[in-house]
Amino acid sequence: MASKTGFIRQTAPYLREPKANVKRMMYDVILALIPVVCFAFYKYRLNGLMIILTAVGSICLAEYLYYKFKKKPGTLKNGTALISGIIYALTLSDSIPLWAVFTGGVAGVYFSKLVFGGMGANIFNVAGFSRVFVMLSFGPLMQYKVDTVMSSTILGIANKTTAVTTLGNVSLFEMFLGINEPGSIGETSFLIILLAGIFLGIRKSLDWRVPVTIILTVFGLSFAVSLATGGPLLTYPMFTILSGGLIFGAVFMATDPITSPITATGRIYFGFGIGAITYLIRLYGALPEGVVYAILIMNMFTPALDYYKWSNPKFTKRSITIFSAVIIATVILVLVGV
Amino acid sequence: MIRKTNKITVDEKLRKNLPTVEIDPPEKVYITLIEMRLNSYELDVKEGDKVKLGECIGVKDGGFFTENIFSTVSGTVGQIVKKFNYSGKKVECLEIINDFQETKADTIKERTDQEIAQLTKDQFVDIIKDNGIKGLGGGGFPTYIKFATDAKIETIVLNGIECEPYMSADYQLVKKNSYEIFGGLKYAMNSMGISKGIIGVKETKKALLKALRKVQAEHFSDLNCEIIEVQDYYPQGWELELIKNVLGIKIKQGTLLSDYGLIEINVTTAVAIYNAVKYNHPVVERYFTITGTAVNKPCQMKVKVGEYVPRLIEAAGGYKTKEDKILVLGGPMMGANLLLDDAIIAVTNTSILVFEKGEPAEEPCIRCASCVYSCPTLLQPVQIMNAFKCKDIEAIKKLKIFNCIECGLCSYVCTSKIHLTEYMRKAKKLAK
Repeated sequence: MASKTGFIRQTAPYLREPKANVKRMMYDVILALIPVVCFAFYKYRLNGLMIILTAVGSICLAEYLYYKFKKKPGTLKNGTALISGIIYALTLSDSIPLWAVFTGGVAGVYFSKLVFGGMGANIFNVAGFSRVFVMLSFGPLMQYKVDTVMSSTILGIANKTTAVTTLGNVSLFEMFLGINEPGSIGETSFLIILLAGIFLGIRKSLDWRVPVTIILTVFGLSFAVSLATGGPLLTYPMFTILSGGLIFGAVFMATDPITSPITATGRIYFGFGIGAITYLIRLYGALPEGVVYAILIMNMFTPALDYYKWSNPKFTKRSITIFSAVIIATVILVLVGV
Repeated sequence: MIRKTNKITVDEKLRKNLPTVEIDPPEKVYITLIEMRLNSYELDVKEGDKVKLGECIGVKDGGFFTENIFSTVSGTVGQIVKKFNYSGKKVECLEIINDFQETKADTIKERTDQEIAQLTKDQFVDIIKDNGIKGLGGGGFPTYIKFATDAKIETIVLNGIECEPYMSADYQLVKKNSYEIFGGLKYAMNSMGISKGIIGVKETKKALLKALRKVQAEHFSDLNCEIIEVQDYYPQGWELELIKNVLGIKIKQGTLLSDYGLIEINVTTAVAIYNAVKYNHPVVERYFTITGTAVNKPCQMKVKVGEYVPRLIEAAGGYKTKEDKILVLGGPMMGANLLLDDAIIAVTNTSILVFEKGEPAEEPCIRCASCVYSCPTLLQPVQIMNAFKCKDIEAIKKLKIFNCIECGLCSYVCTSKIHLTEYMRKAKKLAK
């Protein structure tokens, strides 16, 4: 006989991908960050650990209190605040006082995420925004102890065409390992971050298109410079990639899906934009490090890249033409500056 | 997960080696009178009349096309009652009380091979129309309209893919009725003057390929027909996807297959064509699957068109639970949800699924773009959802919502478990 009750309404499809869930993605990122955190602890000991704890604490606390006051269900469980906190801490220098870390974290998460409506609605990468907030507010406190702002100094030299050869003094392998390289507490080891990135890529928890395009763009532009100045052909591009927070930004900050475009093509333009702006900042700018700024600038362009009238999941003849023109223009712009 | 997905993870226990069960002939069958696109009907019989199996008892009218109604058992005409069908709504159905005699209608008679060889295109189309044959893969589009085209048809593609997981109706059919598939194909090719036939089968279904190749070698070696293996992914059974893979022709959505000199029909439809042409026999039964986490004994069977769903559930060992369960008529990706099992099986239905769990909780979109990567029609589901939330009809249209085939992949892959497919349907309605 027909049953009268016991059925619930649902619409097709009735199956869901069991592996696809936000928690899995977020925990993957946390897992990938653990070696980087360990490295920071190894290098900076208690100081590094305190910075990380303060950063995580400030962001989580701000988010918790915000939702408490708003009388809405808390959102700490999904792990985004934790991740933002760790990434933010890893981009700071070891000399920064903890109160500055705390202020930056609270202000960063409030202005870049909570006011926009929490997870999924933020325009800017939370960690990047917090870091920029700290840099702009407490810049003088962010001194790198050894060989002040090494990357920029050497990049500065490199830009003077005559001095490209002096790069030979820097051991690329040492930079690859990052053990003695000065810099932000978690950004220096290319090797560890690369492995974390590969792990996330295999687990499909990040979109490989973004970091790969960023690295390729920076490599390509510096290679062009290298060619034009007749310097060491590969040493300079390799140095550019290994120095500063490029790989860290590419793997952990630019890949934040919430602040990147939603089409494959859009993500390639986005990655190219970050790479090009980073390199241009390094070449022309007065800043020690351009990656975070580049990411925030491209975050602003995300809605434009997603605009429905021109977003397209596939490359078309028109988009390839425009993209090629932009690439050529960027190369010319770079070469003019050398 | 940020990735393109076209494989559906399924519970193999509910899919592989399902036992075939025999069910007792039904005491009553219910013949749907109202269907999708066919919203009025005219009956030639009244309550108390005697009818025979396969007898034409009326006609359904859909405005620009009609479809004959057939009795699927012999017996006495009962009342017109309202039952659920695959539309998820209650529709008018004609009850027929079975006399278990299976007396066949007078119209069912064999045509000789010579008669068949002399059939013209118009006669062929008429036979198909008279036997009420329609897309039996689930689409339900009247087959005679496909064949009645004036365009020159060069290739006919038979779809043996059945890409939705858990379904096995076509599998059973190809295994047991390979001869009839080729027969139907041959009749269609001869009468229509089609030079080439193609049967698409998944490369993973070795048993089907073997059965088809054997029949082809034994009986139809002179027929210009190719059996093409295609990859096993979802939605391979979508006609444009299949044609792209077997012929390499990319068909623009919204254009007619006949413009490309193509016809595409399901293998079940081909068997129906064979029976119609050879015996003038309409479809009265079909292969069927009952499975899911909430039935006791998942199984496959042959059912009469017009069977009553609770009887079938009983044959499958009944429900596992009295609590909340989801009853689906059709596949797990595109099937219709029924709120009561007081429903009947129409000729286009292939399976019943009963699931235990409800929908997972939604989280905010994290813009991972899995839906964009996975969409087989290259849409941007998340953008359409956002446009729908803002009631931005212009954007919805510009994002090509009408290309959406509602395959369900966007909901399936969503990291945040957002029910995007439902938004696609709503957006379609809004933009109409």
